[in-house]
Amino acid sequence: MSVQGTTATRASVPQEIALVDLLDRLLGTGVVLAGDIVISLSGVDLVQVRLHALITSIRSDMVEPS
Amino acid sequence: MSDLGRYMYAISRALDAEHLVATRGLAGAPLEVVQHRELAAVVSTVDLGEYGEVALRRNLERLEWLEETARCHEEVVRAVAACAPVAPLRLATICLDDEAVQARLKEWYHALNQVLDRVEGRLEWSVKAIAPGEGSGKSAEAAVAAQVVAGSGAAYLERKKRQSEDKAAAEERALMAGEGMHAALAAVSAASRRLPPQDPRLSGHQGSMILNGAYLVEGDKEDQFQDMCQALDAIHPDLLVDVRGPWPPYSFAMMEQ
Repeated sequence: MSVQGTTATRASVPQEIALVDLLDRLLGTGVVLAGDIVISLSGVDLVQVRLHALITSIRSDMVEPS
Repeated sequence: MSDLGRYMYAISRALDAEHLVATRGLAGAPLEVVQHRELAAVVSTVDLGEYGEVALRRNLERLEWLEETARCHEEVVRAVAACAPVAPLRLATICLDDEAVQARLKEWYHALNQVLDRVEGRLEWSVKAIAPGEGSGKSAEAAVAAQVVAGSGAAYLERKKRQSEDKAAAEERALMAGEGMHAALAAVSAASRRLPPQDPRLSGHQGSMILNGAYLVEGDKEDQFQDMCQALDAIHPDLLVDVRGPWPPYSFAMMEQ
């Protein structure tokens, strides 16, 4: 998993999007065209879904080394 | 054998499907284009055993699955962005068949064209500013500590009061700095949005994210935009300024509904 660091960087060439930035956008913005399969998780619910998923993963990452 | 559905990645216009042959969709499926007049939806076939409503609920909770899906979605969006205007769709927009995809293109025909007009020839940049949490208060704290010799009760209270005032003032300054930076960046952008600050547990940043801005920048104004970023970084030595891009215009593909 790539979590974005906080170092100040100057980008002049296209960069890969950190997962947290990508999910900000793919779950929080973008065109909403409700499909036939609607998980009705627009907005808040989806944020919780991804938070849950990411935090679970981050926690397990932190646990592993010890 | 599960049923099949059509996963929609992005909407484009006057798209030549030839440009997409090198890119694969989810589970390695070939990309296809569903047309309605000049609008084109980029889709691929997915197994509803994995992308149906019940399965999605479960899979969205699995980081590995979520990341893989998001990365594939991103790659397709990038491939489209390389050859035509693109309006990325939200993750996991799935129709049962091509007729349903076309029905959406027809229903939202004008709104989608407006979105494509807005983003054509422009890319998204992200600028974040982070005020280091503890650091900013430290010098003031040290100054107070130096003044206070062997803390009496009154001196202790005075010091506490000062610290709390310093903290409030620092927060106020950070808020103003965030607003000022956003205004300056918005002035050299075609459109701008402030996204909610990210959770430090996800982004790994320390301190408070006073700006999580998205900026839609005209292709020939990128230098100007980056100069502005540099200037803002220079006048805010106390902030961490994180500039990323250019990306497809994810944050500016919202339809006005």
